[in-house]
Amino acid sequence: MAKLWVVIKREYLERVRTKWFIIATIFGPLFFGSIMIVPGYISARTVRDSKIGNLRILDATGTGLGARVAAKMAVSQQAVGSATQVITLSSAALTEAESTATIAVMQKKDQGYLVLDSTTLTRLTARYAGSNASAFGETQAVENAVRQSLLQTRLEQAGLDAQRVDSLTKVKVNMSVEKIDEKGRGGSGMASALFGFAIAFLLYFSIIFYGQNIMSGVLDEKTSRVSEVVLSSVGPDTLLAGKILGVGAVGLTQQIAWIGSTALVWKFRAVVMAKLGVPMPAFTLPPISIGMLCLLVAYFVLGFLLYASLFAAVGAISGDQQEARQAAAPVTMMLVAAMVFAQPVLFAPTSTLAKVVSLIPVTAPVIMPLRMSATQVPALEIALSLAGVALACAAAIWASARIYRVGLLMTGKRLSIANVLLIIKLGRS
Amino acid sequence: MTELALDIRGISKRYAEHTAVRSLSLAVPTGAVYGLLGPNGAGKTTSIRMILNIIAPDTGTVTILGRSNTDPGILDQIGYLPEERGLYKKMQVHRVLRFLAELKGVDAKEADRRIHQWMERFDLTTAGKDWGVAKLEELSRGMQQKVQFIGTLIHDPDLVILDEPFSGLDPINAQALKDTVVELKKRGKTVIFSTHLMDNAERLCDSVCIIARGEKVLDGTVSGVKAEHGGNNVALAVGAGGTEVLAEVLAKLLADHTMIEKVDDSNRFFEIRLQAGADPQALLRTIIAAGVPVQRFELVQPSLHQIFLEKVGATGVEPGMSGHG
Repeated sequence: MAKLWVVIKREYLERVRTKWFIIATIFGPLFFGSIMIVPGYISARTVRDSKIGNLRILDATGTGLGARVAAKMAVSQQAVGSATQVITLSSAALTEAESTATIAVMQKKDQGYLVLDSTTLTRLTARYAGSNASAFGETQAVENAVRQSLLQTRLEQAGLDAQRVDSLTKVKVNMSVEKIDEKGRGGSGMASALFGFAIAFLLYFSIIFYGQNIMSGVLDEKTSRVSEVVLSSVGPDTLLAGKILGVGAVGLTQQIAWIGSTALVWKFRAVVMAKLGVPMPAFTLPPISIGMLCLLVAYFVLGFLLYASLFAAVGAISGDQQEARQAAAPVTMMLVAAMVFAQPVLFAPTSTLAKVVSLIPVTAPVIMPLRMSATQVPALEIALSLAGVALACAAAIWASARIYRVGLLMTGKRLSIANVLLIIKLGRS
Repeated sequence: MTELALDIRGISKRYAEHTAVRSLSLAVPTGAVYGLLGPNGAGKTTSIRMILNIIAPDTGTVTILGRSNTDPGILDQIGYLPEERGLYKKMQVHRVLRFLAELKGVDAKEADRRIHQWMERFDLTTAGKDWGVAKLEELSRGMQQKVQFIGTLIHDPDLVILDEPFSGLDPINAQALKDTVVELKKRGKTVIFSTHLMDNAERLCDSVCIIARGEKVLDGTVSGVKAEHGGNNVALAVGAGGTEVLAEVLAKLLADHTMIEKVDDSNRFFEIRLQAGADPQALLRTIIAAGVPVQRFELVQPSLHQIFLEKVGATGVEPGMSGHG
């Protein structure tokens, strides 16, 4: 045990002392914080910056709809001072007017033009053409203005007073979305999904990053020949265990630092967002119970052990970094597959696909926590999935230790799959 | 104190394609400097790895200082310098050495004290510079070898195993290594080293074992081995202009198989093996009569090199074996 501790200590301290660890630990929360704040900030800026200036409205409805749309546009676009020009004309003159307007857009005099004709009122159609036609926010602003104006016009035509119509149609709905599970109402649905995805991504990232870290560590010991010196003091199983536990502890340290400081950013996000002039998104994080937290840690630990031992075995059978990258591809692919399933599982967490991939041991460590945040997973399924991961983990550790023991001393010789299988079977070369 | 530092009985190691070591038995007395000699691929490194329990023998037992090599803690009494050397390149020298010491059960404080002593002794800590805080990769090759050597001895082991210790050493480090081996012996420690360089073995070892093709060819004290194989050898050196005449005489004598059996031209002198029962004085008279200006004529024991060549021959390596001894 004393020797295991010495190995763990070295693996841990030598990694947390490196510059990249310190940089990643400090910048991680900044990155996660910016994920929380920047999209809101950008979208707020985008809405404000949607300039629909120099718009030409060709109104052939004969109802003054064009002027109404222009007025709506002026209200919504007041910050940028749009210059909307309304041309009232007959249906017959429309074709020629459109040609003129097209040329104006081509010469960049106007940004675009809106055609309101006789079908606009009857069939609720309108046409917009402009240099900004692919800008979603901008065309949506025009469409909103047309829709509201049409509604008002139709209500007036139905005999309502114009002022009453105006006050009645000024309605803004702010809908919040909430998730309900067996325990009652939880946080917002969107927040749960984002949270689940963030957890899955964190698990995926940590497992792949630190798993590969172990692989290169093993390879480094093998190619630098230091393994032989170390093996004359400790057994290969102790060395492997110490390496996996030490690197795992580095991963946990980093995650605790990240989660802690991200929680701080989350707590003070209102202050930061207010300073940036971004409205606070109206959702709360789902509450995490102690039980859920324990399950998350269990999935991380088991998932990490499973993949770390596989990566260690890959390091032990490879001769150099390039060989190791090739040999690691099947292991990495299993994890990537888990992330590929993340989106479909998030959208349909109770589907058969979601159930299956959350039970397969190699994808479960990433998918099950994701599913658990999206829906109420039956306890039996969680138990089955955890048992599967634990079994796979034990098998991977057993096989890897056998490969590691032999592979570590084999230099300059690339092991074939047949060799590796033989080593697993016999426990020696 | 037990009589034997190392007692190996009938160890064998077979791999899928070949047998690396075949029923090897060795007895190394405590306090001896013991040479494990053999050509590359003879099974030296495999044997050493089995002694250190890095690989398990298929058959046989290894007893170190009276205890089985699988006993917990026994490996802490061994210092090992592998043939293929290397340490953690990105680690600071001091931290690497402390790690190696702690692995052998030395506590951190005591380790620091010993590291300081060794670093000063090997000029790695001077008034102007402390290489202890440098990363290993920043050190020259020679300095890295010193660090590795300190790492082998930092826990003050009773048994020191050095696998091809002289390979790749510069002359200064080679001398430091020899001095340290002598000092270890004076302190009652046992040193085993493998080598294929017979000169070093002859100068340093009390006892030797020659192995080839995974098997022991002979073993014993150096003087005993030489006495057993020698007594009938002559070292002969001649003055200017005598070499050609001597060569003619020796060729003639070799051809008639009466007086000499073998001639080894070592450039500065000839090492001649006489036929069994042949009289060295008769050889001396024959050479002088031929007009050769003799400078040295000495009855000598054969060198380990000679014995090695005789016993192992030029093909001491089993086909299919490569890499380690």
